[in-house]
Amino acid sequence: MNAQQQIPRNALVWMIISLFTLAAPHVTRLPVWVLAVYGVAALWRSMVYRGRWSFPGRLVKLALILCACGGIYASYGNMLGLEPTVALLLTAFALKLIELAGRKDAYVLLFLGYFICITEFLFSQDLLIVLYSVLNTTLITTALVALHQPDQHRFNHGSLRLAAVMLAQAFPLMLVLFFLFPRIGPLWSVPIKRHTAKTGVSDVMQPGDISHLSQSDEVAFRAQFQGEIPPRSQLYWRGLVFSRLADGAWRRLRNYEVAPNERRPAPVTTGGEPLRYSVILNPTQQHWLYSLRYAESGQAGVMATADYLLYSPVELEDQYRYHARSWPDAVLEPELSDWRRRTELQLPKGGNPRTRQLALDMRAASASAAAFVGAVLAMFTHQPFVYTLQPPRLGTDPMDRFLFQTRRGFCEHYAYAFVVMMRAAGVPARVVAGYQGGEVNPVNRTVIVHQFDAHAWAEIWLRGRGWVRVDPTAAVAPERIELGLEQAVATEGSFLADSPLSPLRYRGISWLNSLRLRYDALTYQWQSWVVGFNSERQYRVLQKLFGQLDASKLMLILLGSGALVLVPVAGSLLARRRVHPLSPLDHTYLTFCDRLSRLGVVRNPGEGPAAFAERAAQALPHWAPLLQRLTGIYCELAYADANLSPTRSTQLKREFKRGLRRLKRARRPR
Amino acid sequence: MRLQDVIDNAVAEVGRVLLGKEPQIRLALCCLFARGHLLIEDLPGMGKTTLSHALADALGLSYKRVQFTSDLLPADILGVSVYNRNDASFSFHPGPIFTQVLLADEINRTTPRTQSALLEAMAEGQVTVEGETRRLPKPFFVIATQNPIHQSGTYPLPESQLDRFLMRLELGYPHPRAEREMLLRQPGASAQVLGLQQCIDREQLQMIRAAVATVHASDNLLDYLQRLVAYSRQAPEFAVGLSPRGALALLDCARTWAVMGSRGHVVPEDLQMVLPAVAAHRLVPNGDYAGDGQALVTLLQRNVDVIKP
Repeated sequence: MNAQQQIPRNALVWMIISLFTLAAPHVTRLPVWVLAVYGVAALWRSMVYRGRWSFPGRLVKLALILCACGGIYASYGNMLGLEPTVALLLTAFALKLIELAGRKDAYVLLFLGYFICITEFLFSQDLLIVLYSVLNTTLITTALVALHQPDQHRFNHGSLRLAAVMLAQAFPLMLVLFFLFPRIGPLWSVPIKRHTAKTGVSDVMQPGDISHLSQSDEVAFRAQFQGEIPPRSQLYWRGLVFSRLADGAWRRLRNYEVAPNERRPAPVTTGGEPLRYSVILNPTQQHWLYSLRYAESGQAGVMATADYLLYSPVELEDQYRYHARSWPDAVLEPELSDWRRRTELQLPKGGNPRTRQLALDMRAASASAAAFVGAVLAMFTHQPFVYTLQPPRLGTDPMDRFLFQTRRGFCEHYAYAFVVMMRAAGVPARVVAGYQGGEVNPVNRTVIVHQFDAHAWAEIWLRGRGWVRVDPTAAVAPERIELGLEQAVATEGSFLADSPLSPLRYRGISWLNSLRLRYDALTYQWQSWVVGFNSERQYRVLQKLFGQLDASKLMLILLGSGALVLVPVAGSLLARRRVHPLSPLDHTYLTFCDRLSRLGVVRNPGEGPAAFAERAAQALPHWAPLLQRLTGIYCELAYADANLSPTRSTQLKREFKRGLRRLKRARRPR
Repeated sequence: MRLQDVIDNAVAEVGRVLLGKEPQIRLALCCLFARGHLLIEDLPGMGKTTLSHALADALGLSYKRVQFTSDLLPADILGVSVYNRNDASFSFHPGPIFTQVLLADEINRTTPRTQSALLEAMAEGQVTVEGETRRLPKPFFVIATQNPIHQSGTYPLPESQLDRFLMRLELGYPHPRAEREMLLRQPGASAQVLGLQQCIDREQLQMIRAAVATVHASDNLLDYLQRLVAYSRQAPEFAVGLSPRGALALLDCARTWAVMGSRGHVVPEDLQMVLPAVAAHRLVPNGDYAGDGQALVTLLQRNVDVIKP
């Protein structure tokens, strides 16, 4: 192997560094042994460099491959999901380092590195990950640059500088491609996200589900209002309506369970100025969208259901942005259809007998349905009910146990009990799940809704008023609605008990909190402008800028903007190059060479004029005298200019030009 | 008689004994006219000695030959003072260096100490023995021969001393036709027996050297020379490029070559003709580069264009 093919030490060190930085963001998803493979690979390759160890033999390589595949299978239980394939890729990446011998292998490794850099985005499209990817790209490019600087025998930073400059030069082009290059749908789709967990509120609710969700400090969505943000006690983000109770769990109605003529929402008369807001929902792998009641969205791809929810027909695998308008005071379904009334009154036969009896007794003691609701809420307020994140487990007849024994519950317990009591007493009622409240970020006036804001409440139907929201939790723990979960469970100390490092736990430290909110505002911008810049939005922006679009026009715009950003870069590079002005004499001589090359005789680099003329004369005997004469003139002008009088010089130059003109008419010999 | 004919005559005369080596003979003459010393590097029996002897004969110069061995001492070349009992004084016995053409045969077989004594004399044109400086005759022309370095028992000349030779030549095997002619000769017909005629007398030598001084080197040519030198200093294949002394040597030789082609000005071809002989032994390839000095010269010639890029 010659020196051109070897990997310089500098490049090798950069490669090992980028190897580790590429694997770093995946650390939490990787089994420990993969990290060990990285350590061993780096050690092995540096030992090979020092000449202590040798490259692995064919059998060793085969064994390593088999072990890696086996290890992945053992750690994940399959080989097909997103995480196992990424882990396999990362392991292969480390193993490739061991057998890195020549420049060709280095190319494979580095280009694979760029690909691995992209795999981070399969898991997160956070701003920090993007910044980290920029770092990774720089490191890989540095290694690539160092690979082509053969005499770098020591580790140094020179290549880093060059790589950074190159990437900076490429940055404008990247922007052009991001904003203008058509977002073509994938040619084939790999169901890579099938295996990832669904997050957020699920469509089945059992007691304990929401309190479990409330352990998470992840952001569910961010909403930005046009105009005033409503008070947090009004921010009931409806996501799901649970109308069916079966087997101790609340479920939403499946489409086939709804009577065919009930599947479209009943028309709602809206009045007054609506709340306008847009929501950026983090991927949930579910269908439902969160909105304030009563919401409409003109957006394509957002549907409305009969229980006045917004719904996406496709699972939300990526961040999703939608706009909505809400009329909080609109009357929903002033007239209830028979089917709907039956559905919203249904209770499983038997079960919770004491609760039912209690409801019937209280209803009998109340003058109206509204009074009955008041009585039930008063019961929650006055009897020793406790709002807690750690509710005890309930067995069969859970509401009987809850209402008469434990009396400790989270929002879903109260909503559950309330709706059961309403239905038992003949008041149509249902559980609504979603989020309540949210944190207002003063930096950019967005509402950040976390998973711990998950909430369940009730809706009852009253004659003349339609569906009315009732939140039994507010009766037990009004501070939950007014101030949020953290205040509500402050005495218990259970807020985010499982995530001691969550920045949300340190909201008391003001500079840290303001930093967090600033970063969140940045994230909002990032999500709405960059992550959310999908093909639809791109099309809208382009249309606004350039009018009606077609393929050729788009291509023209793309090429034009590409040229616009690349020409200054090229220009500055050209300007920095040293300019050798060509003397008129050399210029005419080069024209002469050009003419001859068209006749089939090309001057070799470094060939002197006389030697060239000799060769050309042999190739073109017909023109030999002219060629010799012209070369003679050039040599005299260029090399014998000591005693040359100006008149003779002019004369010679004229003769040269005449000769050139004659040569122009020459034909190539057959 | 024109200078050109004189020189062609001399080349033909030397060519009588060294068959088929006209380019090397011309370069050797060029080196002599340019007041430089010549290093011939080749395997034994290629005609190194013949060439030097024939050159001395053709120019009518006195000629001496020293066979360098590992036990040769500086005094063996420079000369010694010997005590004369008759008049009770020391008298200097000049060594073989006091001649016009000195053949230092197999210079790399002797120790660096002796080598440097010779090289000093070459550089200064004088020797100092026991405090007394003695001038060497003029012209003083050293032809050193050396075996390729990888032969055992040699002390290779360091780069700094190689630089003192204006040219290094390789003779190479003769053309088969020339070799046949040589083989057909009468046995024992060596150079001495042939008795070469003197072709260039002292006066003509002076004229040639005077003509060299008036040769014009244009700006264009100096640009080309400087580009060559700059390339040898910048390109990664070169560990050591051409020194300013090397650049001067190139120009001197190119001028002489122009005179030998009866031209009053230097053209790039002159430079290119002398470049391998003048530059190859001054260039050191980089450790990563597989080629030798000759390959570097080829690189120079190929990559530096005559016309300003």
